[in-house]
Amino acid sequence: MTLSFAEYTTLSIADIQAGLNKRSFSACELMHAANDAIQLLDEGKVDAFLSTTPELALEAAKRVDAELTAGKTAGEIGLLAGVPLGLKDNMNLLGSRTTCGSRMLEQYESTYSATCVRKAQSAGALPIGKLNMDEFAFGSSTETSAYKMTHNPWDLERVPGGSSGGSAAAVAAGMLTVSLGSDTGGSIRQPASFCGVVGFKPSYGVVSRSGVVAFASSLDQVGPLGRSVADVAVVTDAICGRDPLDCTSQNIVPQFAQSALAGQREGIKGMRVGIIPAYLEAEGVAPEIVLALAKAVKHVESLGASLVEIELPHDSAALSAYYVIGPCEAFSNLSRFDSVRYGYRAGGVRNLEELYEQSRAGGFGVETTRRIMLGSYLLSSGVYNTYYYPAQQVRTLITEDYMRAFEQADVLLTPVSPRTAFRFGEISNPTAMHLSDIFTIPVNIAGNGALSLPVGLGEQSGLPVSIQIIGPQFKDANILRVAAALETCYDIPRVAPPASFRQPQAQTLSSLEGGAA
Amino acid sequence: MYVTKEDVRGIAAYVRIGLAEDEIDEMTRDLNSIIKSLEPITEYDLEGVEPTFHPIAGLANVMRDDVVESGFTQEEALANAPEAEDGQFKIATILGGGGGGQ
Repeated sequence: MTLSFAEYTTLSIADIQAGLNKRSFSACELMHAANDAIQLLDEGKVDAFLSTTPELALEAAKRVDAELTAGKTAGEIGLLAGVPLGLKDNMNLLGSRTTCGSRMLEQYESTYSATCVRKAQSAGALPIGKLNMDEFAFGSSTETSAYKMTHNPWDLERVPGGSSGGSAAAVAAGMLTVSLGSDTGGSIRQPASFCGVVGFKPSYGVVSRSGVVAFASSLDQVGPLGRSVADVAVVTDAICGRDPLDCTSQNIVPQFAQSALAGQREGIKGMRVGIIPAYLEAEGVAPEIVLALAKAVKHVESLGASLVEIELPHDSAALSAYYVIGPCEAFSNLSRFDSVRYGYRAGGVRNLEELYEQSRAGGFGVETTRRIMLGSYLLSSGVYNTYYYPAQQVRTLITEDYMRAFEQADVLLTPVSPRTAFRFGEISNPTAMHLSDIFTIPVNIAGNGALSLPVGLGEQSGLPVSIQIIGPQFKDANILRVAAALETCYDIPRVAPPASFRQPQAQTLSSLEGGAA
Repeated sequence: MYVTKEDVRGIAAYVRIGLAEDEIDEMTRDLNSIIKSLEPITEYDLEGVEPTFHPIAGLANVMRDDVVESGFTQEEALANAPEAEDGQFKIATILGGGGGGQ
């Protein structure tokens, strides 16, 4: 049989495993269904993909089907057998182009695969393609991509969030079952929230970053996006763990799926859920976000959890600490793009100095240039002690805040983003754009894990709203347990309704809170 | 004003990004606005607070035996080079104008 689009988009990873075992469909049929969905929805509509990898997907699907024929079950083949998977385009996949959304890497062909990608492949995943992102992950809307604008499947006139915008939009549109993203200050959680999918940033050190192009090495973490808590948990099980190629990666027992299952089956009775009253009074948080969080809090109470009010006194310092630490580390990481070993090379230069200057000017977009220059300034002598050193001291205070908070609570419940998806070009001031990450950034600063869980559509905007569940460092099991339990309280469409793919209507900025989708 | 146009020219030269004069103007404006937004970091009482440069505390050094392993082949290493010759990366002349310039 062939899979219809409607059937394909409802499949969870567990459904895929069951379907393969019952021979309801083959891995090759899953791959074709993914490709058909992309044909139908991507170009000129969602525009989530920068490239597709049909040969690699076919090869992987054939391998899974051959093993099934040889008598193996899907579970024996691997946790992700036959699962259509997309990768943020900062992840190396041998046989693909890895552009980071930048002209700098327009021609870059991966000569190896990132560890997380290799692990997903050996678990049987079908690598369907590479997904759009803000250039080198610098942004919160995917608008800084050098290649294309990715559209939010819930309203094509709006951004999908960022920087993992393509990873979120492709899953929300139903083109992929799951995807991988990376999160430095909210880049998995915020787009997941804007697109109404689940996005999980595990604690720093859970997933190896080897082969993922670095932005800020003390903050970057890889994680999955999917349509259910169970699905992102399974993907995390498949990609986590110690990797000799990333010395920050930790020995992690892959029990994420088990934790999610425990949340579904046994609930969260007796768990302590922290809420942060100051967050709800923060300036610029939309009323519909406050309302959605209040409802989620009621749900966790009705599930038997107890509520604790938490203070994070140094949280307000996180944003400025992040915009010091991030650019400083990016400045250092992006010095490797010298147009000698790889990358865009300008022609007509007279010497090596001009080769560097013209190639980097031609390869990097304006936001990237801005962050590199900012980082260089902040690390310069005389300035270092004014910003960089205090930012690292602030990191200590924020980390201590979290440690104290998690003495009183097992998880924290917060907003993901102060508002729902905005329109293209609506936020053009770089510092205003930075504010869209105020609730996600502190988590990266402290190195904890957090998950973005869809909780329905906003009362005013009609667009997806999510809440964030933050856990103690390396106790990501708490997050998945609460997320899976809370998920059962909501009946939410897993993909954007096809109606939202209609031709965009002309709407004015003043109808912002008007009701789309 | 945190950085002048002259400072921005100096930073651009240091990070090896060639900017045109109008780009210097715009970047000067942007950088000043961003640096201003970072002011809160200078206002905390941080006396005696130890810095945290890395989010995982108490990590032990990772050691391994010093065994030679194969990395990239020469071919793989050169696969993405914009220009290569005789198995080596090719660059522009280091000093001077290669016959055409200063």
